[in-house]
Amino acid sequence: MILYTIKRLIQGVITVWFIATATFFAMHGVPGDPLMTDKAMSEEVRKNLDAHYGFDQPKWKQYGIYIGHMVQGDFGISFAQENRRVNDILWEHFPVSAFLGILAITFAGLGGILFGALTARYRNRMPDIVIMFLVILGISVPSFVFAALGQLALVKLNAFFGTSILPVAGWGTLSHMIAPSLVLGLGTMAFLTRLMRSSMLEIVSSDYVRTARSKGLPTTRIFLRHELRNAILPVVTVLGPSIAAITTGGFVVELVFAIPGLGRYFVQAVQQLDYTVIMGTTVFYGAFLVFMVIVVDLLYGLIDPRVRLE
Amino acid sequence: MNAALSFRPIVAERDVEVISRPSLSYWRDAWIRLKANRRALVSLYIVIALGLFTVVGPWLPFVPNHSAQDLDQISSPPGADRTATIVEPYVPWSGVTVNAPGGQAPLEAPASVSLAGEATTQAVRIFWDPVRGAHGYRIYRNIAHPAPDDALGMPLADVLVPSRVSFEDRLDIKPQEYFYSVVPLDRNGREAPVYATLDVSAIRVITAEEAVKRGLAGSTADLAIGDQVELKLHVLGTDYLGRDMLARLMHGARVSLFIGIVAPFLFILVGILYGSAAGFVGGRVDQVLMRFADFVVALPFLLFMILFRILFKIEGGDSGIAPMLIAMVILSWPAAARLVRGQILQIREEGYISASRLLGAKTPYLVLRHMIPNTMGVILVTITFAVPSAIFTEAFLSFIGMGVAPPTPSWGSMCNEGIKTMLTYPHELIFPALFISITVLAFNLLGDGLRDALDARMRSQE
Amino acid sequence: MTAVIDQVTSALLEVRDLEVEFDTYGGTVRAVRGVSFEVHAGKTLAIVGESGCGKSVTVQSIMGLIPSPPGRIVGGTAKLRGKEIVDGVTADGEIVRGSRIGMIFQDPMTSLNPTMTIGDQIAETLQVHRGFSHSQALRLAVELLEMTRINEPSRRARQYPFEFSGGMLQRSMIAMAIACRPSILIADEPTTALDVTIQSQILDLLRDLQQENNMAIVLITHDLGVVARMADEVAVMYAGEFLETGTADDIFYNSAHPYTVGLRAAMPTNRDESEQDLMPIDGSPPDLFAPPPGCAYFARCPHAMEACRNDPPPGFAVGSGHMTRCWLHHADCSRRIEDLHYAAAAPLEGRDA
Ligand SMILES: Nc1ncnc2c1ncn2[C@@H]1O[C@H](COP(=O)(O)OP(=O)(O)O)[C@@H](O)[C@H]1O
Ligand code: SF4
Ligand SMILES: [Mg+2]
Repeated sequence: MILYTIKRLIQGVITVWFIATATFFAMHGVPGDPLMTDKAMSEEVRKNLDAHYGFDQPKWKQYGIYIGHMVQGDFGISFAQENRRVNDILWEHFPVSAFLGILAITFAGLGGILFGALTARYRNRMPDIVIMFLVILGISVPSFVFAALGQLALVKLNAFFGTSILPVAGWGTLSHMIAPSLVLGLGTMAFLTRLMRSSMLEIVSSDYVRTARSKGLPTTRIFLRHELRNAILPVVTVLGPSIAAITTGGFVVELVFAIPGLGRYFVQAVQQLDYTVIMGTTVFYGAFLVFMVIVVDLLYGLIDPRVRLE
Repeated sequence: MNAALSFRPIVAERDVEVISRPSLSYWRDAWIRLKANRRALVSLYIVIALGLFTVVGPWLPFVPNHSAQDLDQISSPPGADRTATIVEPYVPWSGVTVNAPGGQAPLEAPASVSLAGEATTQAVRIFWDPVRGAHGYRIYRNIAHPAPDDALGMPLADVLVPSRVSFEDRLDIKPQEYFYSVVPLDRNGREAPVYATLDVSAIRVITAEEAVKRGLAGSTADLAIGDQVELKLHVLGTDYLGRDMLARLMHGARVSLFIGIVAPFLFILVGILYGSAAGFVGGRVDQVLMRFADFVVALPFLLFMILFRILFKIEGGDSGIAPMLIAMVILSWPAAARLVRGQILQIREEGYISASRLLGAKTPYLVLRHMIPNTMGVILVTITFAVPSAIFTEAFLSFIGMGVAPPTPSWGSMCNEGIKTMLTYPHELIFPALFISITVLAFNLLGDGLRDALDARMRSQE
Repeated sequence: MTAVIDQVTSALLEVRDLEVEFDTYGGTVRAVRGVSFEVHAGKTLAIVGESGCGKSVTVQSIMGLIPSPPGRIVGGTAKLRGKEIVDGVTADGEIVRGSRIGMIFQDPMTSLNPTMTIGDQIAETLQVHRGFSHSQALRLAVELLEMTRINEPSRRARQYPFEFSGGMLQRSMIAMAIACRPSILIADEPTTALDVTIQSQILDLLRDLQQENNMAIVLITHDLGVVARMADEVAVMYAGEFLETGTADDIFYNSAHPYTVGLRAAMPTNRDESEQDLMPIDGSPPDLFAPPPGCAYFARCPHAMEACRNDPPPGFAVGSGHMTRCWLHHADCSRRIEDLHYAAAAPLEGRDA
């Protein structure tokens, strides 16, 4: 297990290096290198940038400097805002996105497992039909429509009760987080529900569940010990990639609900052509996703003994 | 028990049952299975209908040009009343003045607010009872009743002459209900905490000249004051610039479906080439190639999509379609490559390739002859599932303003525009969202059906 | 029916006229069509027949394991010591499944929960049926593993199924099935998925456990060699029916049904050469969606007669406890099955004479 962990971490670091390199060459490689030629900045910023990134040096040296900074966890300084380090920006906005994302994935995971088990249990009956209809909707409706509808629903809800049940936008308190994280988790929840359902159906008719029944175990015990635990495994394996999906959805939800997260900031940075922030955020997010996948895989090892001993 | 049992032996004429099912070709069999799947079949029809919608739609007689603006009908929902009454051209209004009654604070609300003449889209004229001691008035307009939380809406104007107790509103009036609130101002121009509200329903009017100019009537001679004319028909209403929703949806479908279908084809093609190279060469090369594919998968997709867009520097008038296609291809090929490689390794294992190689066939020939047809089914399913996710990506990027650039319509950018008026004119968001959802749904269900149809067939081959 | 055997015995398990159907897309499959048998303490009943003839469905419906839907028990009764079993519980509330009757399955690789230790899976049964604490049950589980001849049982009990070989998994399955000392063990093709040498070890183990515990075994197989080695009584199943039932001697030396004769003829006489179970009888079993109106074996029977086409043969008693469903035994039929024993003369090896 320890060996496996180390192996995965090394792989992860190499992958992050690749992401950083790809980002660097994407930014510098195109004709008219924006990092070198963009004029719309003050003298002072230009000087700072040259000092920090070595823009006055040859390309390969710049690359060395860049990777050197990355290794130290330094993502550089902002193009658009004077004297602002990219790290500060990440530090300020990322926790908001992360918190939103964690809430959303928790909600999506629990909901997916619950509804998936429910639909499998009541296969082809009312709960199954209703939930699967909603799931198909959930998979086919884009996240920004959920966000818009969610906000519309909040407006109507608050109007109906005449007071503010939940805030329509903004960030800060728990009540601000509920609606956006629900909205953000919906698509993933639908996907996980579908996965859980098919996994559950497969397991319900598996040989070892038949064995469990032949042992005369009570239904609840069979459900918890033999069906649920095994059915969850495939759901856990896709949690890693799901985090990426949630991150993507986060961009929209942050925009619509006016949440000061990294996604919204990134869109702003793009509009302002704040290249260093764009690069920093890209590498940071890439690294984050790579390591989340590793974390999920390691967690998977804890619940599936077959992986644990590899 | 049967009385007449005969124990005469029979040998020859027994009907040995033959469970015979005509052996069908791979694709015919899959097609029959697909047809048996009602959801998949309906989805197939929807996809075909969408194709017609996109290609034939814009030529239909009731579909106007997608970029033409109808300024008489801005943000009008489908099925809205289209009648307009012919009126005289606008003549200025002198307003209402009184002797301002002096007095002391506190200021009270005007005793009443009234309408002068008819409220039309040309002008709404209101006047009110003077308030004792008021030094002026501020007029607000809202589309909802101000009570209970005193939301008066948009401040239209301040009347700073105490003797003037009227106001003429000509600001972009729509044929709908408005609530005008009048707030008295004190000596310092501060609002008193009181107001009076008038509920007004503006009717749509048009002058005879305008009606002729818009092509609603032959000549001014045919029109008398008070006549009613019908404005142009917009089947699904108009957007915030008065453009026909249906026409824009059809035009947007071109962009969305083009990206949604062409991008998967391209990246799956790249994937096939890459994957079959890896699978066929095998060994070290295969390992290196697949390692690289793993790296590409690890790139944060959305951020890189946006990165590419910046790099291509979308200029004004540039639709942004080409950069999006290129970026999608660059980032999305590995999944297909992995799949094709897996299939090819499997087929190689099965050995009939080596058999035919022994017989002297050349490698490229082998690839064509055996592998492509065998992996075709899986690839078809992959494409079907890649379409909805490409449509999603386009919509998503356009929605956050990082995709197709205005004024080119795409369903995603239409949603982006629609969300701004979501509370008042939901149809501008709902229609494009509906089209995205139905398309994605249809392709997903079709993909499910195809997979089941081809899968079952694959299984029975074992 | 003219000659149904009507014994009054002290049967442990008594199944009468069992009928099971499955609703499928293609229509209703009549998987078991009126099957009756008895199981006696300390004895082995072998149910033998081609794949798909309804053996598993028969025993699973006794245990209440038929998935429903699509499965449906349409008729018949199963009684344990005279008390009817419904859904794995007897009429007076005694739990049959796992407690009175244990069961093991064909594929040990897939029949155990991959995410639970072997020990826990065995202990579970004891906790549920005997009310043992977890640690008590685990200790017993280790003893059971030892009983089924697994080395280092206490270490093995803490391992997961993927760390076991096929033969060891089947031993663990047996340990699990006999944990509560059931009076009957149902073994559904327990050795089909295993190597020949392992097969024979497992069969030895079963027989030893049977002798130690005076346990009845219902052994399902499509391998006549296994039948010859293990069975006291045999039921030959075909297309959802028992075509012939009797003692092992009856079946092997006194076959009274053309199908049994055909099976015997197709059976390799030398066990070492029998890599797989050869059954080269021409044709294939009938479609259970629409079973033939007369004799189920009609289409393949070399002795078929007019009567066999549309009239189902009843059970004919051809000896004490020996029943067969074949018109050849009708009093009016001039031919005799004995005349037809052309290939049954070869002696059987692997069978204790
Ligand atoms: N779950 C099921 N659904 C539909 N048909 C089934 C099911 N289980 C068994 N059957 C049918 O019942 C028949 C008998 O099956 P089975 O008892 O498993 O045969 P075997 O004698 O090989 O154990 C088969 O022909 C099969 O078609
Ligand atoms: S009843 Fe007829 S067909 Fe059936 S086994 Fe006997 S002889 Fe053959
Ligand atoms: Mg079976």
